[in-house]
Amino acid sequence: MSKIGVFICHCGENISATVDVARVAEAAGQLEGVAFSTDYKYMCSDPGQTMIKQAIKENGLNGVVVGSCSPRMHEPTFRKACQEAGLNPFMCEMANLREHCSWVHDKSEATTQKAIDLVRTLVEKVKLNKPLFSIQVPVTKTALVIGGGIAGIQASLDIASAGHQVILVEKDPSIGGHMSQLSETFPTLDCSQCILTPRMVEVAQHPNIKLMTYAELEKLEGSIGNFKATIRKKAKSIDEDLCNGCGTCTTKCPTKKIPSEFNTGLGMRTAIYVPFPQAVPNKPVIDKENCSYYQKGKCKVCEKVCPTGAIRFDQEDELVELEVGAVVIATGFDIMQPSGFPEYGYGKYKDVITGLQFERLASASGPTLGEIRRPSDGKIPEKIVFVACAGSRDPAKGVPYCSKICCMYTAKHAMLYQHKVHHGKSYIFYMDIRAAGKNYEEFVRRAIVEDEVNYIRGRVSKVYEENGKLIVKGVDTLLSAKPVEIEADMVVLASAAVANPGAEALAQKMHVSYDSYNFFSEAHPKLKPVETNTAGIFLAGACQAPKDIPETVSQASGAASKVIILFSKDELSRDPLIAVVNRSPAPVFSTCVGCFMCASACPYQAIGEELITNRQGKVIKKVAKVNPGLCQGCGTCVAFCRSKSIDIQGYSNEQMCAEVIALLNHE
Amino acid sequence: MSELIKKAAALLESKSVQVVIGYGKGTGNRTRTIFATQVTECENLIFDSRCVQNLAVYLTKLEIKKLGKPAIVAPVPVLRSILQLAVENQITESDLVILGITSESELIDFESFAAIETFLTTHKIEIEEKYTKTIDAIKAMPVAERFAYWVKELESCFKCYACRGACPLCYCTRCTVDDNQPQWISVASHPLGNLEWHIMRAMHLAGRCTDCEACYNACPMGIPIHLLTKSMLQDVADNFGSYGPSLDKQNTLSSFKPDDKESFIR
Ligand SMILES: Cc1cc2nc3c(=O)[nH]c(=O)nc-3n(C[C@H](O)[C@H](O)[C@H](O)COP(=O)(O)OP(=O)(O)OC[C@H]3O[C@@H](n4cnc5c(N)ncnc54)[C@H](O)[C@@H]3O)c2cc1C
Ligand code: SF4
Ligand code: SF4
Repeated sequence: MSKIGVFICHCGENISATVDVARVAEAAGQLEGVAFSTDYKYMCSDPGQTMIKQAIKENGLNGVVVGSCSPRMHEPTFRKACQEAGLNPFMCEMANLREHCSWVHDKSEATTQKAIDLVRTLVEKVKLNKPLFSIQVPVTKTALVIGGGIAGIQASLDIASAGHQVILVEKDPSIGGHMSQLSETFPTLDCSQCILTPRMVEVAQHPNIKLMTYAELEKLEGSIGNFKATIRKKAKSIDEDLCNGCGTCTTKCPTKKIPSEFNTGLGMRTAIYVPFPQAVPNKPVIDKENCSYYQKGKCKVCEKVCPTGAIRFDQEDELVELEVGAVVIATGFDIMQPSGFPEYGYGKYKDVITGLQFERLASASGPTLGEIRRPSDGKIPEKIVFVACAGSRDPAKGVPYCSKICCMYTAKHAMLYQHKVHHGKSYIFYMDIRAAGKNYEEFVRRAIVEDEVNYIRGRVSKVYEENGKLIVKGVDTLLSAKPVEIEADMVVLASAAVANPGAEALAQKMHVSYDSYNFFSEAHPKLKPVETNTAGIFLAGACQAPKDIPETVSQASGAASKVIILFSKDELSRDPLIAVVNRSPAPVFSTCVGCFMCASACPYQAIGEELITNRQGKVIKKVAKVNPGLCQGCGTCVAFCRSKSIDIQGYSNEQMCAEVIALLNHE
Repeated sequence: MSELIKKAAALLESKSVQVVIGYGKGTGNRTRTIFATQVTECENLIFDSRCVQNLAVYLTKLEIKKLGKPAIVAPVPVLRSILQLAVENQITESDLVILGITSESELIDFESFAAIETFLTTHKIEIEEKYTKTIDAIKAMPVAERFAYWVKELESCFKCYACRGACPLCYCTRCTVDDNQPQWISVASHPLGNLEWHIMRAMHLAGRCTDCEACYNACPMGIPIHLLTKSMLQDVADNFGSYGPSLDKQNTLSSFKPDDKESFIR
């Protein structure tokens, strides 16, 4: 016999302003099976919860419906209150009278009527609720961090320092990411590598961090606490244990004219290479695409010169399976290739470069050893034009968003140029100067006032070459849209920050959502900025949206702390709202016919087989079985099962049907 | 079909199978299914243009399974059903022997389900024009008219469930229509109950039906219920590019792919 208690909340005035709450409580009291009904100003408050607990005890309630806000907000509160009063927490349901009713309708009879209907459907559902118990899953206290930029480095160090194991997977031969390519960093102008490399070394030396470079995620299965990751270790063609990083091979390799990725094509590298001197690990890889031996079958110079005999031409990619409890995605960003806007002449004129290329020119470890020399003839540019928002904030280029970092690094670039070329003249075309951040505005002011950088508010329409000069045509919108023309020696495009080309595929492998620009989506823009929609997978850095270093590092530490919280317990308790395949008395055993359509439909590969045997051990039937550790309760399988053999606990077909019927049976 | 008889007899003789499921002579001009368990019974096997019943329906029936391993006479529509049953994990290769018959009435052996699939690539399901025309005409009707059309067509259904009984893919141990806790589908054969039943039947066959027309052939009232499944077949092919069973592609409608564009599923 159902003895249900109904508790209608006013939510201050959020609900009661449009819904006649007293009438809802009264109508609920008339429903069959309802033993107690009341309304109160704040059901979630302490007195509200006490009221629920008392009512359960005094009336011997075996089900509770709270008519209040979204279950996303207070379901845990009310379920806990019920539990404290001795009721199974899953016997408590919420009717959403706020988001689904009072907030979206005007005050009227119909609004109150709808609230009554919502309560009635939940009362009917609760009648069919069964006590459920949380599922306990063990937690594997090893974290997988994907991407070894500053975000991945920071997250790894934090998690490892808390005493947990970390596996850091980086696709390139070295960790470091974009930060390793930067010259000096805003807003303090400290040398990027000087602050980064100690962290890189710390990663290499940390006893709890296992570094896998030149490696990528192949597959991720499982769920929070118990993922199974398959990592593809790309063949480096060297035996890392034997290689001592002497670098003889890289100096002797005859294939020397390969544009260096690290130097953004402004410098060259060999086929066997270490991307930059401070690389971690400092051991080379052979780039098979460009190696004479792999391409033409002849050479093997490196093998001959290697003093430790570490070269392995027959090495193959290796797949490694790892058990991990949490994943941090820190795969960073990319910059938009400015070939998308031919009006700026990138690709056509050698001296039109990107901001990232400028970083390499300004960097002491770069191809010009830190002198600003233009790529075409190595001359020092006398006049330089920076174009901010190259691609950003331009829906026509597919990037309506602000790349966030360009205003600041463009100011930095102009400053670095002025510091190195004292007599030079620098111009910045900008749309707005966005310098929100600690000491950021001051930094931009310094560029304008102390370094006399010329800021021109307006856009550049065209760049073309004439008599060895780059003619930059633009407009100054502050001075009544006056056209401006600058004869420059070099043009630097602050091209938009975009998602990595591989981001979408990676997101799909991991079942995490991503936005329309392929940046990974956080679970909530304000309250869950480092979580993804998939439990146990967290985000750090520019893979979520363009970010500068301070923000990246804070988010990385945030993601790390989430992982550490997860690892702080040996077991993880999960809501039992998962699919189960039914069982029935012999000779049917289960109405499941073993078609396994559910198994192919399940996005989490949670469905396997179970053999039902008789007492003699003979197999009578093969049916589907849901792995409670993997099932996410999405319900896809339920929709596919024709024989209705599979159900979500707490949301069974029968319960849904009862709700619908309750709605239809409207007086 | 003396060759068929010989082959069937040999299979029983050698005890490779315990029963041969095939077509035999019925009363009048009709055919009936025979289940030959003795060599002598094989003589009753026939095959001609009247043999349209889909014998694959018996493969999943408990009573037939009890007879032992079967050999089954399998013209093209039966082959399609066998393949679909294989996709749905209802039969495995070692479960049965297939006495395949081509559309030219020639015997053909199949070593594996994959061989059936290869064979069927040259026997693609084709929806005849007379049907596509009718389906298009029905689809073109305004909703109310279309509703009235089906209410009228289904009026004579008295829920004998012969369509279900004849369909090789309706093999559930307990059909949803037989549930009464809760009663998903009303049992009465009034317009609503009939619509509910036939919509459910068609939906449960979406992406699975192989267009054998057994349901229509079985209906004592001649209701054109195969129009529903044919139309569905067309829709599935149009939207998911699949037509007929495939071991490779698995379940057309119920296969999750990581690159699914629908965000609700991720
Ligand atoms: C021109 C320019 C100048 C800048 N100047 C400054 C500045 O002065 N100050 C400042 O604060 N910020 C600056 N920034 C921003 C700074 O670069 C970023 O904030 C920072 O690099 C973000 O770090 P990250 O680790 O999130 O991403 P990244 O640095 O992009 O690192 C991502 C790492 O993940 C790896 N990776 C990618 N995909 C995979 C995969 N599938 N599997 C494994 N590994 C993968 C990459 O190889 C890389 O190592 C600048 C940016 C640019 C473009
Ligand atoms: S649960 Fe349903 S869909 Fe899954 S195998 Fe069983 S009958 Fe098929
Ligand atoms: S509810 Fe079904 S489809 Fe969804 S994860 Fe669980 S078993 Fe898979």
